[in-house]
Order: sequence, then structure tokens, then C-alpha cells
Amino acid sequence: MRRIHAALAALIACVVLVGYFETIPSLESSDAARLPEDAARRLHLSYWEKWGSFERDACQAMVDDFNQNQHELFVHYINTSEVNRKAMLAIMGGDPPDVVGLWAPDVLPFAEAAALMPLDEFMARAGLEPGYYIDSYLELGRYAGKTYALPTTPSSVALFYNKEHFRRKADALRAAGLDPGRPPATIEELDRYAAVLNEFDENGEPRVMGFLPTEPGWFNSSWIYYFGGGLYDPDTGRMTADAPENVRAYKWIKRYAETYGRDKLLQFRSGFGTFDSPLNAFIEGKVSMEMQGVWFPNFIRRHRPHMEFGVTPFPCAEGVPGPRTLIDADVIAIPRGCRHPEEAWKFVLHSQTRGLAILCRLHGKHMPVKNPPAWYRQGHPNLELDVFQAVAASPQAFVYPRLSLWKEYNDELSRAFEHVWNWLPPESELAGLDGTAREAKVEELCEREIVRTLQRVNTTMQARLDSKIAYDRLREGGTR
Amino acid sequence: MSRGPLAGYAFIFPWLIALVAFVGYPFVAGFYFSFCDYPPLKSPLFVGTSNYTELLRDHVFQRSMATTLTYASVAVPLGVFLAVSLGMALNTHVRGQSFYRVIFYLPHLVPTVVVALLWLWIFNPHFGLLNALLGAIPRAIDMLAEVFFALDSAGFLRPWAALLLAGPLLAAAVKLLPGPFSRRPRLRSLLLSAAAAWIAVGVVSLADALLRWLTPYNPSRIELPGWLTDGTPFPASVPFAPPWALWALILMSMWGVGQMAVIYLAKLQDVPVDLYEAADIDGAGWWRKAWHVTIPMISPVILFNAVMGIIGAMQVFAEPYIMTNGGPEDKTRMVAMFIYDQAFQYQRIGYASAVAWVLFLVIVILTLLTFRISRGHVYYAGR
Repeated sequence: MRRIHAALAALIACVVLVGYFETIPSLESSDAARLPEDAARRLHLSYWEKWGSFERDACQAMVDDFNQNQHELFVHYINTSEVNRKAMLAIMGGDPPDVVGLWAPDVLPFAEAAALMPLDEFMARAGLEPGYYIDSYLELGRYAGKTYALPTTPSSVALFYNKEHFRRKADALRAAGLDPGRPPATIEELDRYAAVLNEFDENGEPRVMGFLPTEPGWFNSSWIYYFGGGLYDPDTGRMTADAPENVRAYKWIKRYAETYGRDKLLQFRSGFGTFDSPLNAFIEGKVSMEMQGVWFPNFIRRHRPHMEFGVTPFPCAEGVPGPRTLIDADVIAIPRGCRHPEEAWKFVLHSQTRGLAILCRLHGKHMPVKNPPAWYRQGHPNLELDVFQAVAASPQAFVYPRLSLWKEYNDELSRAFEHVWNWLPPESELAGLDGTAREAKVEELCEREIVRTLQRVNTTMQARLDSKIAYDRLREGGTR
Repeated sequence: MSRGPLAGYAFIFPWLIALVAFVGYPFVAGFYFSFCDYPPLKSPLFVGTSNYTELLRDHVFQRSMATTLTYASVAVPLGVFLAVSLGMALNTHVRGQSFYRVIFYLPHLVPTVVVALLWLWIFNPHFGLLNALLGAIPRAIDMLAEVFFALDSAGFLRPWAALLLAGPLLAAAVKLLPGPFSRRPRLRSLLLSAAAAWIAVGVVSLADALLRWLTPYNPSRIELPGWLTDGTPFPASVPFAPPWALWALILMSMWGVGQMAVIYLAKLQDVPVDLYEAADIDGAGWWRKAWHVTIPMISPVILFNAVMGIIGAMQVFAEPYIMTNGGPEDKTRMVAMFIYDQAFQYQRIGYASAVAWVLFLVIVILTLLTFRISRGHVYYAGR
């Protein structure tokens, strides 16, 4: 028994000793290879940010530039996956980073919960005028009249088309009354180009698809805007998921599934590789036209440097004014509870001036400011930048609804998209019909299902929004 | 109080603190939060039972609960059956038994994320190993059938088809002429096995030929499932049948049966040999011994594994989260994923707590039900 007690006592002593002498790695000791000689005299700041691969290196270059050009602060770029969720937990726990990089849709839920510091006062003191930015990008970081985050790398999207495919099918395109020398100008024309560019094997299985609304799958909630639709009316506070324009957009989506066969397309799409790979559907040449963002040329040149492709504003449906693009951005902010807000601002300011140019250039993107420095465009790696800049500056450019429920709303819309895409009209309703009568019945049934689906999304999200507003009011009342 | 109990309490005290802090408090707090609207960075607001009433209307929650129950109802019995079979196979006196035991246990040591990424490739409809095998088997059978039957012209046999009679003839000869083989049981058994194998070749070839002659079946145009991307139910005619994507997850969950099999093996080795000897004297064959001796003797372990399996299946998260993220069309979205989304994606801690409590109650009910059903079926030697 004594021996057991002695052994247990020794074990406890070991645990206590390890606990006492074990030191938690400090921020100052991390990133040893980059620490300058005067590191001990500097104040060290932590900067949590996303990115991988060459985009991470670009972000590191921006941080290095800051660290090398002053001797007061040293910023540690801590590459963080799922940075929004981790930042939220860190802020809740009272130990946030000094600076955090988020996605624009995170700003609203964070700002609403007072998890970010307002930056207007810092901006005024530094002479950083709101007029410096393109309005729509600055707006992404604002909530209730205050600026909580500033844009770092902006995004806009456009139509990428494979020029090799256009050339290969030039005769067929001409025969269909289409010009192989230019991309489609309307969605109706896009469908006609796509129909000619499609290729099938002897079993009728797709080999190349001209266009698929399911690719790349990141912008499924944005199609409705190209039909003049919208998802939320801020004036009335009502969700508008079931607006007639949205129904028109979903009918267009469904037509692709009906025309080419949901199952055949499922098999075809399951052979696509991941985005950042040579097996990417567009890069490999399995899809001739695809909506993609300003970042995409980097990836094309990385995996297929000699690919001949063109970029043009994504076409709108006939009668809908354009050009249109989805405006989005990565943003930088100072979390609530940050220990060194004044010093953190100095780095944020760098990320909005010289650092912004470094970051956007190395990311191959345009800048979210009205007058980028002249040197920024010299030798810029993205040769298609003008298209993205032009669509981003268009008065028809749009952003997703600025709602703290957006993530939930977007997931509901994704469900609706998948449901509409996969839904099959019941055979019992089509019995005895063939030819055009059958087609008309299929279209009628599909439309009915689309309306029903979008109405359900609308009802669900309106109820969620109403209850959220009611709870927030109750909470505010209780606080007062 | 004597020194003994004091020392005992002192030893369990650190564990008790951890239990109260990390299990007890979240348990109670979660129950309170389930009656609150609670975004993480705001204070919880008591809203009564509205989270629970919302659950009744939430079609995503209802679908995820149905998916989880479907998954559990197929994966648990299948897992138990496979693990018991594997345990019994490992319990036989075959050469290299220790090697097999290690091999079957090894998959359990591989981290879940690695397993999920590995199976992602296995299930790839175009480049995956599974579809490559499933596609190759009917083609191989077709090539074999082509040797005996002219598949393009219905009913036409090739001369080699006569060879298919060799199997039944050999089996009949061995059975009807015991004389030459009575002193050579090994040779008899070998010839019977060869005859059975040849009969199987004939049956499979004939079945393939009949399919080719009577139906539009063509093995080179067979449509294989899209697995993780395929939401089509299988079998399509059965109501509530799991979709292919869920079948893929169920199939993958069998990867870990080796661990359960090792537990069965420990119990199997504990079954008294005299019970088998008594059964032998009574003339019991393999099946009767398994049904009347082995299964009752290991039934407490089967119950334990079934209960643990139900709890594990109802809480499954990592595999569907990595492999399908709930898709296609939410058909692999499990309740645990739904809870995660509500708490960490939509910042609804209160609602997520309500779902967690409902899941907890469902698991408790299923566990109690299992214990109830097991009464009279589980044999405890000590009683």
C-alpha cells in the first residue's frame, strides 16, 4: 500500500513540476525565422487571417512589408482556417487576436453583437476618407452607419469562356447564327452557344458541356440577379425569394436538368476534379463556359498556362440592364477586447494603403479603391483585370442581402436549388402525353414545384427574420 | 470517518471536479439555454418553449432526424452481424490467426479524417475502386458466359456448354460412389468443393445468358451508382429506402467492425468448451452450435455493442461532414451536423441546445427500448 501511495505521490509531483516549468509558446517566440534583430524592443501583434498556397504567401508579403518598414511593431500572421468561427470563440473568451481577417458576410453578425471595434474615428484621425474606396466595397464593412471592417481583397465575377472550344465549333456556331469570335451577350444567347458547344459520346453521355448552372456551385444564389430578381427588400423588411423574376431564373436552371438529364449530368459532374487542380471542369475543358471570380486566371495559368480563354461580363436575361456582378470582399477588422487597438490600427492602415496594393497585386485582383497607384498595374499578373474592374464599377453590380441571417438564407436557397435541380415530374401526371404536349406539361409541373419551393424558403426565412427582430427588441428592452 | 473512505474521496475528487465542470455544468446549462434565444455574443434571452415548437415545424431538422434513424437502423444491425461473423471466423483454428486479428483491428487505429478522405476516393464514381470493381465483375461474368453461350443469339449454346455438366456429374459420382472415397475424406471433400465451384460457374453463366437473352441488360452499359453524390433511393421501390449516398456512409461505417469483432472474440474464447462437446454428443452441427451455444453465450456482449452502436450511430458527425457535408439534397445531413450548423454557422446556441436535448432523449428512449427487447434474449451465466 505504501508503495502505491509513494508511486501516486511521485506521479502527482511530476504533473505539478511539468505544469510549473512548461511554458506556453508565446507570440513573441513564434515565427522565429522572420524575427528582426530588434524584435525584443517591438510590440508584437497577432493577425489571424485565412488563405492558402500562393495567396497565403501574398498575405505574408504584405505583413513582411509592414514589419520591415517600421521598428515599433511586429505583426505575426497566423494562418487560420475557419477564421470567423475561431475569432468568434476567441472574442467570446475574452482573448481575441489584435487584428482579424474575415469575409464580408461576417461583418453584420459580428458588428451586431458588438464583437468588432468601430473604425471611423481611427479613419478620421489618419485621414482615410470614405471617398477613397469604391462605395460598394466600403459598404460591405459598415453596419448601422459605422464602419467596422475595411476591404482587403475585393471580388467580382464574370463569364469565362474557352476560346479553343469556340474555334473548334466555329462552323457549327455560324450555322446556328452565332458569332464564334465573341462570347454570348444575353442569357438566351448563352443557352444557344451552350447547345452548340455540347459534345456527347456514342452512348449519349456528355463529354463536354457548353454551360452548366451547377458550376462551380458557389454562385447558385446569384443567378436570380441576372434575371432582374432579388432576395430581400430592405424598404419593407420582407424576403422576396419567390419573386416572379426569381421563378424565371429557377425555370432556366431547371431547363438544363430537364434537357440534358439529371442522372447523366450527375455522372458527368462526378468526374470533375477539385477547384485548384488540373481536373477543374473548366481548366480540363469539360465545361466551355463558367462563371468565376477575379482570382480564377491565377489558377488557370497555374494548371494550364497555355489555355486560351476569354473573360466577359456574365450576360443578363433579355430586357434586364447590365452588366451585373456579385460584389464581395475579404475584410480586415479589430476585434472587441483587442489589447492594443491603437497599434492594431497602424497595421490596418498599412493594409489599406501600400499593403493593399501589394496584397491585391500578388492575389491577381483589382483594388477596392477609386484611384489605385500607377505602379500597381505595371506587370500585374491578371491580364483580364479590366473586365472585373468594369463590372465592379457598374451601377448594376449587386451584393447579397445585408442580413445577419444571410448564411442561413443562403443555405436554404442552396437546398431549394438542389431540390429544383433534382426534382422529377411525377409520371402519373404525364401519362398518355407525348411530344410538345408532354413538354408543356413538364414545364407547367416544374414551374409549380419551383414556386412552391421558393415560397417555402420565403416563409421559413421571413419567420426567422421576424422572430430575430422580436427577440432583439426584447433584449434591448431588457437592457434598458 | 475512517482513513479509508477519506483517501478514496481524495482520489476521486479531481475527477469529480472535472465531471461537474465539464459534464455537469454544460448539461444543466444546455438545458436552460434550450429555452433561450442565445446568439454567442449576446446575453441569453428566455423564450419559453419556442425553440421546441419551432423544431416541430423545421423540415430540415425532421429530415435530418429521419436520415439519422435510417442510418442507425441499417448500420447498427449490419455492423453487429458482420462483427459477430468476423469474431467467429477469427475464433477458428486457422493458420496465421494472429495476423488476421491484427489486420482486422488495424482500420480502427486509422484517424476518422484519414478514413473519410480515403473512402472519398474509393466512392468516386469515375475513378473509384468500388465502381471499377462493380463494373468489372459483370463484364467478367459476361466474358465467362460467352464461352458457353452465344449471347447475341437467344437460346444458342456453344459446344463448350457441355462442360458445364461436369460439375453436377462429379458431385453425383462422389455422392453415389462412397466406396472409393470413404477412406480418403480429404479427397472427397476436395472433389465436392471443385464440383460446387463448377456448378456455381454454370449457374452464374446461365443467369447472365438468360438476362442477356430476355432483357435489355448489357454489362458494358450498366449504370453504376454515383455513391456520395447520388441521392436516388435504393431499392427505389421500397418506401423510405436509403439513398445511395447514405448507403455509401453505411458501407464505410463497416470499416471499423474489426474493433467490435475483437470484443466478440474475447467473449467467444470464454465460451466453455464442454458446451460444444455436449452439443457434439447430441449430434449438433455447426449452425445449431452457433445458434444454441455461441450466440446465447456472447449475447451480453452483443447487447453492449448494439447499445454502443446505437449511441454512436445517432451521434455520427465527422464522416458525413467531411465526405458529403449533408448533400446531396440534405440526404446525408445527420442530427449532429444540424446541431453544429445551428450553433456555429447560424449562431443559434439556444436552438442547437434544444435539438441536442431532443437527440439525447431519442438516444435514451432507443437505449431503453433495446434493453427492454433484450430481456429474455440475453443470457447472463452469473444469474
